[in-house]
Parts: sequence; C-alpha cells; structure tokens
Amino acid sequence: MSKAFPTQEIGSLPKFGWRTKPFRQMGLDDEDLRSAKLWGERMSVPGTLRLLKLLSKRADFSEEEKKEIVDFSLLYAIRMCEMAGAELTEHQGLDLVWSGEQARTEMYETPVSNIGGFEFIGKVRSFDNKYWRMASIRGSPSYKNNYHIDELLFTQKHAKRKVKVPVTDAITIMAWSDNHYYTAKWAREKVSPLRKSFNARREFTLELAGIIRKVVRELIEGGVEEVQIDIPAATQYQSVDDIKLVAESFNETTKGLSATFSVHSCFPPAVGYEILFPQILEMKKCERFSFEYGNRDGYRRGVDDDARPGLTDLKLFKEYGYRKGLGVGVIHIHTDKLPSVGVVRDRILYAARATDLDPKELYVNPDCGLRTRKPEVAQRMLDLVVAGADKARGVSSSD
Amino acid sequence: MVEFTLSITGLHARNESTIQATQDWERGRIGSAALSAAFRADCDSLVALQSEVGADYISDGQLGTGWQDFLRPLTNGLHGVKKGAMVRWYNTNTFYYAPVVSGPISSKGGAVWSKLERRHVKKGRFRVAIPDPLTFSDLAEDHHYGSKEKLMFAYSDALRDELLTLSENGVAYVQFSSPALVARFRDKAVSRDRLGQLGEAIRSATRGSSMRTGFHTIFGDASHHIPGIFDAIPTDDVGFDFTQTDPASLSGTKKGIIAGVADARSTYLESIEELHETVEQVIDTTGSKRVTIAPSSDLRFIPRVSADEKLRRLGALKRELGER
Repeated sequence: MSKAFPTQEIGSLPKFGWRTKPFRQMGLDDEDLRSAKLWGERMSVPGTLRLLKLLSKRADFSEEEKKEIVDFSLLYAIRMCEMAGAELTEHQGLDLVWSGEQARTEMYETPVSNIGGFEFIGKVRSFDNKYWRMASIRGSPSYKNNYHIDELLFTQKHAKRKVKVPVTDAITIMAWSDNHYYTAKWAREKVSPLRKSFNARREFTLELAGIIRKVVRELIEGGVEEVQIDIPAATQYQSVDDIKLVAESFNETTKGLSATFSVHSCFPPAVGYEILFPQILEMKKCERFSFEYGNRDGYRRGVDDDARPGLTDLKLFKEYGYRKGLGVGVIHIHTDKLPSVGVVRDRILYAARATDLDPKELYVNPDCGLRTRKPEVAQRMLDLVVAGADKARGVSSSD
Repeated sequence: MVEFTLSITGLHARNESTIQATQDWERGRIGSAALSAAFRADCDSLVALQSEVGADYISDGQLGTGWQDFLRPLTNGLHGVKKGAMVRWYNTNTFYYAPVVSGPISSKGGAVWSKLERRHVKKGRFRVAIPDPLTFSDLAEDHHYGSKEKLMFAYSDALRDELLTLSENGVAYVQFSSPALVARFRDKAVSRDRLGQLGEAIRSATRGSSMRTGFHTIFGDASHHIPGIFDAIPTDDVGFDFTQTDPASLSGTKKGIIAGVADARSTYLESIEELHETVEQVIDTTGSKRVTIAPSSDLRFIPRVSADEKLRRLGALKRELGER
C-alpha cells in the first residue's frame, strides 16, 4: 500500500437474520425486514428494493431465491467494509475488503463439507456457550470442488476496493477435526505415544495442504491477487515439531503459487506468540502476519509498555529481524466493549514503535472475524479501525 | 491383588439437547428455568451412565454454566480475582478467561461447591476436578503477589477453604488436574524444587479435609518427573495421560495410579486388547495395587455421543480386568 497504516478486515462479518433464517426453515419477522431496509439504505446497497420485495415473501423461499439472498448478504458485507469509518472520520472504507464470509457456513464447516473423507459427528464446546460442529476424518481426504470460487468471483465483480480472500489452512482443519483415521493408522505402530500422535497430525495436515493448494490455485486463476491463509490453530499444538509443521503446511499450500500471501492467527496460549518463533519465519511466501492483540490490551491511553500490555509481543518481530508486513489486531472481538479512537490510535503507534516497520507495511485490523457481534457493533468496530488509523496518520477525528 | 476402579476425570461434553438449550437461551428463545432443566436432565443421564458402566466415583460432569471454563468458578468466586483476556486452553481449540489477580486471594468456601449439582452428592461416591496450584499460578495474570510461588501458595490457601466445604458436604474425591506440570512450552520442564513447592501447596490445600485425593497430569509427557512426582505430590493417586506418557517410563510406587488409557481427544475407540495392554504395562512398571481406569483427560473435547462411547469402553475394560 502507498499510505501509512492501511486497513483491512480479517474475514467474517455478522449475518443478518434475513440471511440465516431462510436456511433454518424459519420465517422472517418485521425486524428482519426492518433491518434489511435500514442497513440497505444506510450503506446505499444497490438493489435494496429488490431485496425487500424478495424478503416480503417471509417464508418458503426457493433455492434460487435463497441464492439471491446470499448474494445480497455478500453485497451488504462488501458495503460495510467500504463504508467503514463514515461515522467517525472523514475517510471512508477499508483498504482491503472481503464479503464477510457470508456465503460460508463458517470457516471450518465450509471446507470440511467440501473435502472428501469427513463425517460430521456432533458439536464441541469452544468456550462459554459457543460450539463448533466437529467433523471426523474417516479416510484419506480428497478434493471434491472449489468451495470459494463463486463467492470470490461475485466479490471481485462488486467490490470497489482491493479484495483479499481468506482461506482456512490445513493445520486448522486438522486441529479442529477428530483425527480418527490417522490415529487409528498409527495406533499399533511401535513408536512412543508422543511420536504416534505427532505423526498422525502431520500426515493428516500435509494431505490436506495438497487439497487446499488446489483450491488456492484456482482462486488465483480466478483473478485474486491476495490470499489470507487463516491459521487460528497455529498455536494449538505447541511442541517445536508442531510449530515447524505450521510452517511446513503453509509452504506446502503455497508451493508453486504466485500471489500475495498473508497469515492470520489469534488467541494463543498464555505464553503468547513467542511460541511460534522463530519457526514461522520459515513461511517463505508470507508477506504479512495478522495477529490478534486487542484482546489482551487495556483501555487507557498511552503508547508505552505499561499502557499497552497486550501488544508487547509485537517486539518479537523486531527481535527476530522481521522486515515484512504485519496486521495488528486493535479491537477485541469477543466483547461489545469498545476502545476510544484515541486508544486505537495509541495501539497503532505503539505497534509502529515496537516493530520499527515502515508504517506502510503496518496494517490495522480487528483481532479476528466479527461474526459473533451484532451488525451495529461490528460496524462500529470497523469504524474504529479506520478512524484509529486516520488518527495515527495525523489526519483528523476526535477521541 | 490389584484393585481396579473407574471414573471420568474432569469436565464432560454437553449433550446435543443442552447445547441447543444454551443457544436458544442466548437468543432469548427460552428462559432460565428451561435452560436449568436441560442441564439437570443432561447431568442425570451422565450420572446414570456412570452407574451403568460401573464407575466407582460419580461426577456431575461439571457441565453447568458455572463451569464455562475449568478455571471459571475460581476466577469468579475467589476474592481478589477477576476475569481477564481470552486465552487458549493448552493444546485444544477451547478457551478460558485468564484469572487476573488484583489483590489478596481469599475464599468463603463456596466457589466450587455452589457450582456442583449437589443433589448427586452422595456420601462416599462424588468426585470433582479442580485446577492444581501450579496451573492456576501459571495461567493467572498476577498484579499483586509478584512471584509465581507466592501466588501458588495464596491459591492453595484459598483452596483449603473450598476443599473443607466440599469435604463437609460429602464430596468423597478431589482431583487436582495439572496440565501445567507436563504441557510445557519448548519442553522447559518444571524444576525439582518447583515440583517440591507444588507438593507443599497441595499439602496445604488438603489440610483438614478427609477426601481421597488425586493429581492428574494431562496433555503432556510426565516421564521427566518420574520418580520425583510420586515422592513430591502428596495425593493418594497420581495420574498420567498415556497418549503422551510412555507407561514404560514409570517407576515403582505405593500410590494409586489414575491410568488415562483412553484417548480423550479422539473418537478412535481403542480395542479392549489395546487398553488392557497399557494397563498391564502400568501395573508391571509401578507395582501399584490400585489402578483407576480413566480417559486421558476431560471428555469434553469430542462430542457427547463419542465421549459416552469412550466411557462405555472403559466400563468394559474394568469388567474384563475384574474377571482376570
């Protein structure tokens, strides 16, 4: 990017009730129609009247109508990215946009639904009352179809800003799945218990990486210039061999491909991102690491270590001599509590100081995808990203 | 003659009905009474299953919203502690809110007790798992004590009041779960001195209570701590995650062994023969006269149906071992 502190979203955005209910065989209510109208007008979404007419049916949507509803939700998400900041600052819009994963069930379920060898087996609790639908691998994984190409082509057609497509990586699919097939395969081998479990993870991961490489290659052929490899599970398995596997998996996925690649990860264990160093620097084609930091930070102003405890991990990049790009998560996404624009600015300026990177290489983003927030909160979070970056550039906006 | 017992060792998976109820409750579709009813039914079915498979100690599965994460009753219930940032729970795709220690830690004794399904507490049979002092002090964000050691002993002092309450109310078994001892970043092993301190902290926590006690190491290889762990840790039983620890690395002990033989992280159902082989190895290497057949860790990392299958398989193993 040619400007300091460019901005990006990480992946998902909240889904409106009118997007989800038709797929759950639930009827739409007045509130669903009201929000479609309100947000459509607020964000000047083209075709809002057509959507309202479509939704007025309220129930029993055909498959064709459901597809049209999904397309509209993609448009709403694109517009949310492109309108970000409008409420808080004179500049508008994120520099890198995506359509909020509106066409996906979510970042894990969509790929495993479209890769052979998986069976869904039930829900597992992630935290509080949040769950994911776990799939079990019961045979060698195989490519079935490209599960992102349609949403990419649609997004590219309608977005006015540069598009970045997020793709869930092999490590994450492995780590969130029940590794039944490879555990059974290694169970009777005469090696130590530790080696058995690692070998089962590695074999599963690298087979998946080959499939995801094919998916990414087709996306690049579809015209996308930037691919974000999503690895929220990068810090899940924590032995040195496992962290090496994170890098190996990324290198396998991107082997022979030409695009701008970035990596997103979040919510490490108590030791922080130190766990990934120096092995992640072996991801040869990664141009930017976008990590979550706002979650662990405080809400008071300041650009020193005491005021910014959540971002001190950023020093690792400087310590290890890293000179490429970073995406700094400045908004905690699992709470509705928002920092002020001033605090977001301070987080950005602290990041610049701690990493010593060219501000043009220091992207600003929420910690992670915003799918768990209400649209009003998600919009406000994106506003803060844009306004905080503006403020850090010394442009304008009030605290 | 070896005595074989069976129990689960921590938080259990919620069933699909309870999961649906929690989601409905969050979306305002059902009220608190319906949510509580779902948890009660879930707990009842788990208790019934434990009886059916021959579990010797019964747990309520620590299923309720009081146990949103393993530390939560203590994070919310101890004075001087509050909820901090969301952090990954060791090598899992589950998360906890870090306890932030902002003042002296103390307890009124009811933080854990109040989060149990107390109607299932029957004298002599009920068990509960809690975070051991090392895990709590490792994971807490300390703004008060200034040293992990001081924090660990402050936590164990508070735990004493918690354990006395449990003991007075008929809880028969407390297990200290200790991922922190074995799931170490970059294999930086806990020193012998620190292991000794941990033993002292546990001794302090259990003083005055009459429950049987266990110490279960989960998510990591405990072989670095053999044989020291048997001397240092003053619990009746010491447990191992045998998906990570080689049974051949154990040494002789008079303590009971919690044998985490079934992989709690995979739905792959081990054959009775495989499980039996591991148990035989444990008996051969330790000479222990009391072996608790158990999953390698909590059974909350796989869906409930699979968790229950694991438990049934352990029940079948216990029956076979009893008949040998």
